[in-house]
Amino acid sequence: MSKLWTTFLKDAKLSFNGLYFYIEIGLAFIFVAVMLFVVPENFESGQKINAFVNLDEPIKSQIEEQITSEDDSLLYDSRTALEDSLEKDRSAVGIEIKSNGSGEIIYDFVLQGYENDRIKSLLKSTVEGEFLSSIPGFESSVSYDVLEPDSQRLTDRANILPIYLTINVGLMGLFIIAAYIFLDKDEGVIKAYAVAPVKIWQYLAAKMLIMLLMGLITSIIPVLMLAGTDVNFLLLIVMVSSFNLFGSALGLFVSSFFDSMVKAMGGLYAAVMLMVLPSLSYFAPSFNPAWIKVFPSYPMMFAFRELLLKNGDTGYIWMQTVLFLILALLVFFAANLRFKKTLTV
Amino acid sequence: MINVNGLYHAYEKGGPFAVKNAAFKVEKGEIFGFLGPSGAGKSTTQGILTGLLPLQKGEVTVAGCDMKKPKREIFNKIGVSFEQSNVYGKLTARENLNFYSKLFDVNTVDAGTLLKLVGLDHVADKKAGEFSKGMKHRLTFVRSMLNKPELWFLDEPTTGLDPAIASQIKDIIKEENNKGTTVFLTTHNMFVADELCDRVAFIIDGEIKLIDSPRNLKLKYGEKMVSVEHNEDGKLVKEQLSLIIKEDQDRLKTIISRGNIEIMHTKEATLEEIFIKVTGRGLK
Ligand SMILES: Nc1ncnc2c1ncn2[C@@H]1O[C@H](COP(=O)(O)OP(=O)(O)O)[C@@H](O)[C@H]1O
Ligand SMILES: [Mg+2]
Repeated sequence: MSKLWTTFLKDAKLSFNGLYFYIEIGLAFIFVAVMLFVVPENFESGQKINAFVNLDEPIKSQIEEQITSEDDSLLYDSRTALEDSLEKDRSAVGIEIKSNGSGEIIYDFVLQGYENDRIKSLLKSTVEGEFLSSIPGFESSVSYDVLEPDSQRLTDRANILPIYLTINVGLMGLFIIAAYIFLDKDEGVIKAYAVAPVKIWQYLAAKMLIMLLMGLITSIIPVLMLAGTDVNFLLLIVMVSSFNLFGSALGLFVSSFFDSMVKAMGGLYAAVMLMVLPSLSYFAPSFNPAWIKVFPSYPMMFAFRELLLKNGDTGYIWMQTVLFLILALLVFFAANLRFKKTLTV
Repeated sequence: MINVNGLYHAYEKGGPFAVKNAAFKVEKGEIFGFLGPSGAGKSTTQGILTGLLPLQKGEVTVAGCDMKKPKREIFNKIGVSFEQSNVYGKLTARENLNFYSKLFDVNTVDAGTLLKLVGLDHVADKKAGEFSKGMKHRLTFVRSMLNKPELWFLDEPTTGLDPAIASQIKDIIKEENNKGTTVFLTTHNMFVADELCDRVAFIIDGEIKLIDSPRNLKLKYGEKMVSVEHNEDGKLVKEQLSLIIKEDQDRLKTIISRGNIEIMHTKEATLEEIFIKVTGRGLK
C-alpha cells in the first residue's frame, strides 16, 4: 500500500508539473464561463413574466398598463391561457393578480417547479417594489402555485451539467490516463518501474487515483458555480468517484491493446463517441431506443440529472454508483491482466 | 545465478527470431558479457532475463526464479541499467533516486552517495530533463545500484560516454564485482568486454557463436599479428599481417626486403579480430 502511495505522490508531482492537469482545470473553468455568460439561468434580469389580471375595472387597466410597460411581459385573459403559455415557454414565470373580495390583492405566482427560494424572494420583492407602490390603499399577500409540483425540469444551465459531468468523466478516464501511460512508455520509465519489486496494479492504480483527483476537482467546481450549494455534494463525490474510476479503468483497458498514443487514438475516440451518444436521448427525450441505454454514459447522465433535481431519485443514483464501482473493478482487473503482458513490450 | 536453455524470442508471431536457441550459464560472482554488433539480440536477451519481455520459448532461471512466472520480490536482489536512459525528466536527479528507493523492501543506498560516485552531486537538485545524454545515462546507471543488487544487468554501460567517464564506470563495475556482485553486461565494444568480462559470449543474428574467457579466446584463436606501416610508391600503407598464415608471411617478407618500413610492431589479436574470425562479421 505504501508503494502505491509513493507512486501516487510521484505521479501527482509529475502532473502538477505537466500540462494535462492545467488543461483539465482550464476546460472546467471555460465551461463554467460559457454557461455563466452565454446560457442564461432562467431567472435573472429580463425575466419574462406572463400575467393574467383577474380584477375589476378600473384597477385592472391600471395594473395592466403597469405590466405592459415592462418589456418582457405578456398579458393573458384567463388562468388556462396563462398556464398554457408557461407550458410553451418554460423559461417564463406566471402571475395571476386577483382580489380576495375583502380589499386584499393576492399575487399568485405560477412557477415552473425548478425555481429555488432565492428566486421566489426575488420575485416577491419585484412585485412589492413595482406593483404595490402604484396601487395604494390595498393590502396584499403573495402566494405561489407550482405548475408541476415534482418538476422534472432543471434550469437551462443545470440541465447541461449532467452532460458535462459525464463527458468529463469519460474523456478524463479515456484520453488522459492513456496519454499518461504512453508518456511513461515513451520516456521508458515504465521499464525502470517494471524491474522494481512493485506490482503492475500499483502502477495502474496510482494513475487512476490521479484521474480521480482531477475528476473530483473538475466536477465539483462547475457544479458549485452553476447549480449552487443546494446540491448534495457528498452524493456528488461518491458518484463522480465511481463513474470516474470506471472511465479511467476503461481507458486503461483500451490502451492496453496499443503501443502508442497515435495507434490508440482511434479506439479511444470511438469509446468517447459512444460515451457521448446518449446525450441525444438526453436532449430529445422522444429519441430513446432501448439500445442507447446500453452505453454506460446513459445511466451516468441520468443519475447526474437525478442528483440535480430537487426531489431526485437517490435510490437510482446509489444503484448506478454501486453498479459502476463493480464494473470499474472488473475492467481494472482485466486491464491489469493485459498490462502484465504488454506494459513493457 | 542465471541459467538459460533453448531460448527463442520473436517480436512478431511467426516473424524472424531476435534470439535463437540461446543457452548459457552465469556463475555467481562473475562478470559475464554479451559481445555483438548492434541488432545482434543482446538487449532482447536482457529484456527476457529481467522480465520486461515475455518468455516465449525456452527455460530461464534468474536468481533462483523461473522467469515463466517471475515473482516481483526477486527485483529486490536485481539491478537493471538500460541502454536508453529512462528517468523522470520532470523530477530532479535526487527525486528520481529517492522515489525509486521507496519501491524496494530492502535497505537502499543513499541517493547523495550514488550521485557523488558518478559525479552528479553538483546537479543533484536539477531536473533530469535538463541533463545531457551522458548525465542521464549515469543517473540511469546509479539508479540500478540503489538496492545493492546481487545480480546486476547492464545494457551497454559505457556507450555514448566520454572516455574519462566510461573508465570511471568500468572501475565502479569492477569494484562492485569485487564486493561479490554478479554482473551480466552487453556491449558492442571489444575493449569493455576484454577489460571487464570473466567470460564473453559472441552473439550475432540472435545466435551465440561461442562462450569463453577473453584470455582463452586469445590463446585459442589469437595468432601473433604484425602491424606494419610502410611506404609504397610514395604512399603510406598500413597493414595487419598474421605470422601464421602463409600468404601473410610471404607478404611480410616482401615488405621487409623493400626496406621502406616506417613503423612495425607485433600485437595480440584483439577480441574484435577474433570475433570476425569466428562469426565472419565485425562489431560495427
Ligand atoms: N521492439 C521491437 N520490435 C521489433 N523488433 C525489435 C524490437 N526490438 C528489437 N528488435 C529487433 O530484434 C533484433 C535484436 O535487437 P536488440 O536485441 O535490440 O539488439 P542489440 O541489443 O544486440 O543491439 C534486431 O533485429 C532488432 O531490429
Ligand atoms: Mg541493445
